This record gives sequence, structure tokens and C-alpha cells, in this order.
Amino acid sequence: MISRSSTFTARRLLDSPRDQFDWALFLVTAGLAVIGVVNLYSATSVVRASLSDLYVQQVYWLVAGGILGALAAAIDYRHIERYGYAIYGFGVVLLLLVFVLGRDIRGSSRWIQIGSFSLQPSEFMKLFLIVALAKYLHNDPKTEGRKLRDLAIPALFAALPVALVLRQPDLGTALILLLIFATIGAMMRIQWRSLATLAVFLGVSGPLVWGYLLKPYQKQRVVSFLSPEENLLGANWHAHHARVAIGSGKWLGEGFMRGTQNQFLFLPDQYTDFPFPVFAEDWGFVGSLVLVGLYAFLVLWGIRVAQSSRDRFGAVLAMGASALIFWHVFFNLGMVTGMLPVVGVTLPLFSYGGSSVITVMIGLGLLMNVSIRRYQLAPGR
Amino acid sequence: MTVLVSREGATEFRKRFKYFAAGVLLAFLVVLGRLFELQAVQGADYAAIAHDNIVRRVAVPTIRGAIRDAQGHVIASSRPASNVTVVPGRAMPSAVSGRRPSSVAEQADTWSKLAITLRMNPEERVRFETRLKTACENSSWQDSPEDRRRSPCWRTLLVREDIARDIEAQLKEHASELTGADVMTVPVRYYPYKTLGAHLLGYVGEVDAETLAKLRPQGYDQMNVEQRQKLNPLNYDVGDALGATGIERAWESSLRGQAGWEKRVVDAHGRYRTGPEADRLLDDPKRQDPIPGRDLRLTIDMELMQSIERAMRAHAAGAAVVVDVRTGRVLAAYSKPDFDPNDLSGAGGKTRVRETFARLSTDPLRPMMDKTMSGAFQPGSTFKPFSALAALEDKLIDPEDHERCDGYLMFGRRIFHCTHVHGKVNMHDAIAESCNVYFFKLAETVGMDRIARIANDFGLGEKTGLGTNPEAPGRVPTRSWYALRYQGQFRIGFTLNAAIGQGDALVTPLQLALAYGALANGGTVYSPEIVRAVETSDGAVVQEFPPRVRPHKVDVKPENLARVVDALRAVVNDPRGTAYPVRDPTIDMAGKTGTAQTGYIPQKGDDAKRTAYYSRDHAWFAAFAPAKAPEIAVVVFIEHGGSGPTQAAPIAIQIIREYQRLAAARGPHVKPPPPPPPRLTWFPNVLPPIVTPPQDDAGAPAFSLDDAEAPFLTTEAGAM
Repeated sequence: MISRSSTFTARRLLDSPRDQFDWALFLVTAGLAVIGVVNLYSATSVVRASLSDLYVQQVYWLVAGGILGALAAAIDYRHIERYGYAIYGFGVVLLLLVFVLGRDIRGSSRWIQIGSFSLQPSEFMKLFLIVALAKYLHNDPKTEGRKLRDLAIPALFAALPVALVLRQPDLGTALILLLIFATIGAMMRIQWRSLATLAVFLGVSGPLVWGYLLKPYQKQRVVSFLSPEENLLGANWHAHHARVAIGSGKWLGEGFMRGTQNQFLFLPDQYTDFPFPVFAEDWGFVGSLVLVGLYAFLVLWGIRVAQSSRDRFGAVLAMGASALIFWHVFFNLGMVTGMLPVVGVTLPLFSYGGSSVITVMIGLGLLMNVSIRRYQLAPGR
Repeated sequence: MTVLVSREGATEFRKRFKYFAAGVLLAFLVVLGRLFELQAVQGADYAAIAHDNIVRRVAVPTIRGAIRDAQGHVIASSRPASNVTVVPGRAMPSAVSGRRPSSVAEQADTWSKLAITLRMNPEERVRFETRLKTACENSSWQDSPEDRRRSPCWRTLLVREDIARDIEAQLKEHASELTGADVMTVPVRYYPYKTLGAHLLGYVGEVDAETLAKLRPQGYDQMNVEQRQKLNPLNYDVGDALGATGIERAWESSLRGQAGWEKRVVDAHGRYRTGPEADRLLDDPKRQDPIPGRDLRLTIDMELMQSIERAMRAHAAGAAVVVDVRTGRVLAAYSKPDFDPNDLSGAGGKTRVRETFARLSTDPLRPMMDKTMSGAFQPGSTFKPFSALAALEDKLIDPEDHERCDGYLMFGRRIFHCTHVHGKVNMHDAIAESCNVYFFKLAETVGMDRIARIANDFGLGEKTGLGTNPEAPGRVPTRSWYALRYQGQFRIGFTLNAAIGQGDALVTPLQLALAYGALANGGTVYSPEIVRAVETSDGAVVQEFPPRVRPHKVDVKPENLARVVDALRAVVNDPRGTAYPVRDPTIDMAGKTGTAQTGYIPQKGDDAKRTAYYSRDHAWFAAFAPAKAPEIAVVVFIEHGGSGPTQAAPIAIQIIREYQRLAAARGPHVKPPPPPPPRLTWFPNVLPPIVTPPQDDAGAPAFSLDDAEAPFLTTEAGAM
């Protein structure tokens, strides 16, 4: 019964995880991180003295994120599975702490101050949600389609942090949490009838959310997205200038640190949510193509890792990490190119921010974890 | 072995992965497609927007042309004035709420120091402090850059205009301690002769909102160059100076010049960026130089104007005009009372402009009115030469025939008075002694329309076309005019009054001067001219204006004209002449006195002084000199001055004397004008030399309020 390929596979089973090191994942991650730092230098160094060492800070975050990511890759993910709900619970507690200890910045409190560091628990919650959902699906294998009832518990897992994050309020993070849940949900086999019911439910609840849950500034963003030319100085200021910067890069860009819209301060939030226009202006469409290619490769590679995972937990974990990267990249690029409304979603490894960088690095570490152990038996319990 | 390779129930997900991969691929392709659209397809458009964002055309100001008199004295030019502005949030950081960023954490308010340096009085200081605090009411240090752009807290606020040099020096010296304060230099029109010639020069004001709305209607910024050129040929913008009256207005297009522009690189906060990196971004052409405004050379003689001012000192209101009878050039045009155009043109700031306007508009003596051409008055007996000419031309009267004057004439049931009992007078005597009765009888024979025709020929009743200020056409009434005015009830009394310049006849001093000029020069009525040449800033003549003769030349026989001129000489030189008592025997001149009844009806609320002033006659004297070979015609008009021979004639004689003195001092040839003063570059750090008109030491006492004879001079609003 053992074919040539299975002997090949069998031989690999004897290797240590170190021998299976996922170079492609590592190199693409490192490449993106380097480009991200270089771009951050362009985005901040000439702007203001107080911001000019931001890229150094970002390198520190990347190093810290790298160490934590390596740690996340080193510990066999099946150990992580064991503590899945505890980790999730820890995340929810942190989110609750935000309301107690949070600092108010620009009208929303998202951060906890620990010493001189500001921690943004909602970023880490994305990972914790993935772990919790992975554990639930791992322990609940189904051979036929799931009913709505079966979706209730994973939906609750997602709903709790989404509700807490919306209270901060932070629409972007809530959106990403929901999309991660939806992606993992899409992995499951669900009965057609349940799907139809779900569709009807969403159709009804959508207007209710618009009417009662969204804050005026959030509605304003959506409205302004739908009529972009109306108020250039108001809510569309960001989107307009982002488009101008991207477009003015043309084919080859204006050159490193020569993008005028960035250099002359027309780009707001150029180091947090809008680093891509800086890049696109400096490097043009050719640069954009390379960057989008790298992100696409990373996500597709993640899906491949999920596909080759030994077990359900690993598959959901890898899929969740890929979804995290994908939705961040897709929403950020959609937002800066004017295809989607402006919601605060960072561009992984490009946006400045400790919590964001560390979350992404841990996520990729988990991906690595699943990748290098795809031929390995579960460790003894 | 099978246990090892099986994937522990992961089969539920198996088939989905390729859909996920396809979805991801599709999503990224959409993103790439959008990027292709933005960067490759529309890239050039966005690059153009980006270029517009960072490259701004900054206006390079031009200099308004200077105005010089015939001798080259500068009578209007521009000088730099220094204005103090403040950025509320920077000068008063305590007014901004929120936690301060480290850069301004230690900064104290500099406002109080500025207030002290500007020597503000407590009331003014409190007022500005309130304004600064109000501006920053809703501002916080945590505001985003766009919030800041919109907040008045971070915009400049004008605190003081046209500050003194020593204060400016102090501000510059302490600049480091006066964060948020700035000194801006702006051009201000400067009239070194102050009030003298105010009416003919006019003044300069900021272009008002209404005019600007016409010049720059909605959508102006989107129009192309030709449309803009059509609507707004001189390219006015907010805050630009615009000639408001007088020559400043009439010659605006020459004086204004054209602002240039320069491309500058700006960042999103409107700050200029310089250096090679910024210069690289500028496209050609990078600059268009401003075209300086043209200078004007006037026919006016400011020294003569000063003489007139001195001669008129004893009188409250009136006008004097001197024209060259050989060219029609206006040598002097003086109107009283006057105003200081410096105060209206921005020296001392907008507050002073407002206050000055308020004061001038309530003055009952109408200081803003140019009485040389905007005001028409009854000419009185100065009109008689034209009535006489009408009689002579149509041979209706033998000038040697005598009429008897008993001091009055009964006409029907009305009595028409004369000044004296003249006895038997012929035409010569009647003009010299100003006998009304002779002219009543003359008018009865000649008729109103013949008199009107001759007067019209001499330019009376018609605008002269000088165009510097709104001109009153005056009026020479005719039968048809009366027919319209009094619905057909024509009375012969109208003719009698018109013949002696009373009743409904109205002339402006300028018209009368040109008409007397025509009497003097043999019948040529010139169009008056006040600007002799348009010059460039370095004195080269761009355009010169030769004398213009009115298309309507007076058609009178030379012998008739000579007869009238002879009578006008007798007015001054014959012992019986009305102006003989005040003559200057050294001056060869001819003229005619006039005392015009104003027919003032006392109004409600008049006090005795007011009634006394307004009931007085207008005093006139129209003259030309020298009588043998006339050079100038002079008209002196004194509003409610009383008697022409005693009040106006001495002034006219004084003016002619001064004219001859000046001509003698300047020599037989017209001296070449002095070279123009060095041009202001934009802007030097020194003031142009202030030319103070020489003060007279002797002469008539200045008109004073305490004078018992002084006219009514209260300034109740709306009294007039």
C-alpha cells in the first residue's frame, strides 16, 4: 500500500521540525518587514523631528515580534490547543481592562498603559479568537452539514470581543474580528437551509445596526465613501489625498523619499493607516505590483499550509492567520485606493504600531508552527 | 502507517481550500486592477493634481504709479506701512485647551509683552484679549492639522496698522520674546501735500465686496484666461487698492500696473519650501515679473495751488480754477473745504478711514465735493459778457446807445433791482460797472434763446469732459426748458434774470474758467486737460496729450469779442469799474465780478448764524491775464462769500500775482523737470523723504470758528 510518495512522506516524518523550516514564509515575511521599515523611513523621517526616529522604534517592535513569533512557532501548536479557551478568556479580560485603564485618544480608548508601553488588547484578541475557534472546531468534527444551532457557540466566541471592541469604539478591529469568524465559518460544511436563514437574518439586522449601533462619525465615513466628491475637506480628505498620492506615482514612482504628497504633508496618518500611498507614490505601479504580489503570496502560502495541516486545529489556526493577513491587506488597500470606506485597518508590517506588529508576527509564527509540523504526530499527552 | 498519513478529520475542510485560494487571488487581482487604473491609466491626472497641491502661484505685488505736478513734484506715491498681526494660539498658548505637546509645554503667553510694546490702552488691550480668547475657545492642542487649518486660533489676526518706526524697531529687537506676533509690510498710498489738491487727486480705497463680486463672479477661479480678462481686465483680488475718486480713479488703469506671479512650493500647511529639492518640482515658466504702474505728469502747478490755498484762507468754502488759455491745461483746481486723502487711503489703518469718512460725510460744508466741477452755482454777473456778445452778434443793440439806470426796473408789477443808480450807461459802462438794468433791457430785446446759444458756444451748460470727478453739467435755461419746467407759463422775468446770471442759470467754476479762456484767446474753447503725459517709472514719456479743442468753436466776430474784452479790462482798470478799488496797478488783467443771490429760504431748525451764512451771496471773480497777451484764466468762487468785488476779486488778483511771480522765477523757458526721485524697490527699509509743503508765514488769517463772521459750522448729522 505504501506508495513512492508515502515513503517519501514517511521519511520526512522522521525529521525534526527544524528540518522542515518554511523558508518561503520566512523570506517573504522578512522581505515585507524590511520594505515596511524602509517605507516608514520615507514616511516619517523628513516630516517632523519628533517622528523621525519612528522607524527605529518599528525595528524594535519587529525584533520583539520576531522573538515572540519564533516562540509561537517553536511550541508545538497542539500544546496551544490545550490552553485555547484559557487564552481566549485572558484576551476578554484584557479587553474588559481597557474600560478600566484605557486612555482616551482621539475619541476612543483602545490602549492599556503598561510602564512606558501602550498595549492594544483588541489586536491580540484577533489571535485569541482564532485559537478559540480552532479549538472548538477541532473538538467538534461533523460529517454532515451543520445547522444554525451548531454555529451558535462559535458565533458567541466572536460576538463577545466584537461587542467589547465596538464599545471602545473601534470599527476597524470589530470588522476584522467578524471577517475572521466568517472566514473560519466558511470552512465548515453548513446546511443550505441554515445558510438561507442566516442570509435573511443579516438582511433584516443590517438596517437595524445602521440605525442604532453605528456612531455618527462611523456613518459619516460610509456616507462620504458613497459620495466621494462632495466634501473634499471633510471626511473625504484622507481618501482623496491617498488617491492623489497613489496615482501620482504613475508607472515607476517618483523615487525613494521623493513622493511630493508625502514629503509636503498632504497625507494624513501616513505612518499608521496610510503607509501604502507613501510606498505607491515613491515606487509607482511597478512597486505596487511587487508589494501586492508578496502579500498575495503570503496569503496563498498560508492557505496551502492550512490545506496540508495534519489536523483540524492546525488547519483552522493556519486559515485564521491567513485570514488575518488577508483581510487587513485587502481592507487597507481597498480603503486607500478608494474602493472601500475609510475604516481604521492597518497594513501588516507596514503600519507603525507595536501591538499590530507583534500580533502579525505571532500570527505568522503560528503559521510557521503549523507549516513545520505538517508531517508530525501529535505529541504525547 | 495509515494513521500517520491520515489527517485526523480535516477532510471537512478539504474541498474548500481551492475556493479560498481562488477568492484571495481574485481579491488581489481586483486591488491590482484598481492600482493599475489609478497609477497607470489616470496617473497623469493625479500627478497634475499633486502638482497643483504643492505648487502655488504667489502674486508679486506691483507698485502703483506716482503722480507728479508740472514741475515734477511728487504729489502721490506709495510708501511701505507696517502692520502687526498675531496668531492667537501662539501668542496666547494658555487660551488653548488640552495637554500641551512638549514643544510648547514651557511657553508663556507673549501677548502681554506685545500689548505693552504697542502701547495699547487698557480698553483696547482688553478688547483684543477677548478676541484672542474667543478665537481659541474651541481649540485644543490635540486637534488634527485640518482642525487647526479651520480654527481662527491659528490664523493671523490684525492688531495694529501702520505702526510708527520706533515701535517697529522695538518689535524687531524683541522678536524672540514675541512669539506669534509678526510685522507685515503693505503698500500705502502717500500724499505728501496732504489736503492740498485732495479733490483733483482723489484717494485710494480697498476694493469693496460689491465691486469684487462683479469683477470676480462665482466660478471665476474656474474660468480660462480670456474670460477672466474680459470680466476683470486689471485682475483685482481681495484687498487690492482701487482709485476711489479723482485722478486716482479716472487713471486707474494707467496707475495700477499689473501684479506678477512667482511659483512657490508649499506644503499642506501652506508653508513655503525652498532648496534644490523644492525647486526641482517647479515647472516653467517659474515667474512673471510685475509691470509697475505708469506715472502721471499733471498740468497742475502745486506751487500755484499753495498760493491759492493761502489766498483762500479767510474763507470757509469755495473753489478756484486756473487754466492756460492757450492750451486748456488746468494749472490749478482748488476746492474748499478739503480733506486729507492720506487718512482715506489707509495711513493709520481702517479705523482711521472709517472715522474720517464719518466726520466728512456729516460736515455741512461738503468737504468731499469737488466744487470746481461737481458743483454748479449761479454765475451772477460773470455771465453778462455772454449776454452782451449775444446782443452784439445779432446786431440787436447798438453798444454805444445809452440806457438809463434808476437803480431798479419796473417790469409789469415786479421790481428788478440794480446794485446802484448808475445813471446813463452804454454797454461798456454796463459791464464795467455791472449795471443790471442795462442788461434787463438788453435781455428784453435779445431774448433768452439767443443768449443761451452764445453761452452754450462758450461751453456753459455742458460737461467739459475732464472726467476726473463727476461733473455737473450746469444749466443755461432756454424758453423750451422753462416751458417744461413751469408748464408753459413763461414769464419775461426769467429772461431778465438769466441775462445777469441769476435765477436758473448754473455754471461750474471750471466751465466758467474755460469760457473766459475763450473770451481771452479769441474764441477757442478748449477741452480741459489735467494729465499732460503718461510716463514710465524712470521718467520716459509713454504717451503725451496735446491740447484738445472742443469740436464746437465759438463763431463770434472778432470786433464784438474785442469790445467785450475791452469792457472786461475796464472792470479792473477804469476808476468806475467794480474791481477797481482792489486792483493791483502792476498787473495787466481783465475780469468780471459776480455776486450771485442764492435765494436761500431759512429752514426749520436754523439758528441765526446758519441763516446768516446761507443767506449770503456767492462771490465770483472771473479774470484773465495779461490782458494784452492772455496766458491764464482764473475763476475764484467763494460759496456764500458775500460780494464779488470785495471778496473774490482780491483773491483772483493775488493768484495772478503769484502766477506771474512763479513764471518770472522759473525764467522764460520752461525748466526741464527735475529727475524723478529714485524708485522704491519692494520694499526698502527706509521711508521716502517726506516732502513738507512750505508753510506760509504771512497772509490772511486762517479761517477760524471763533470769527464772528464765521459761517454756521455745526456738524450735526444730517443737518444738510
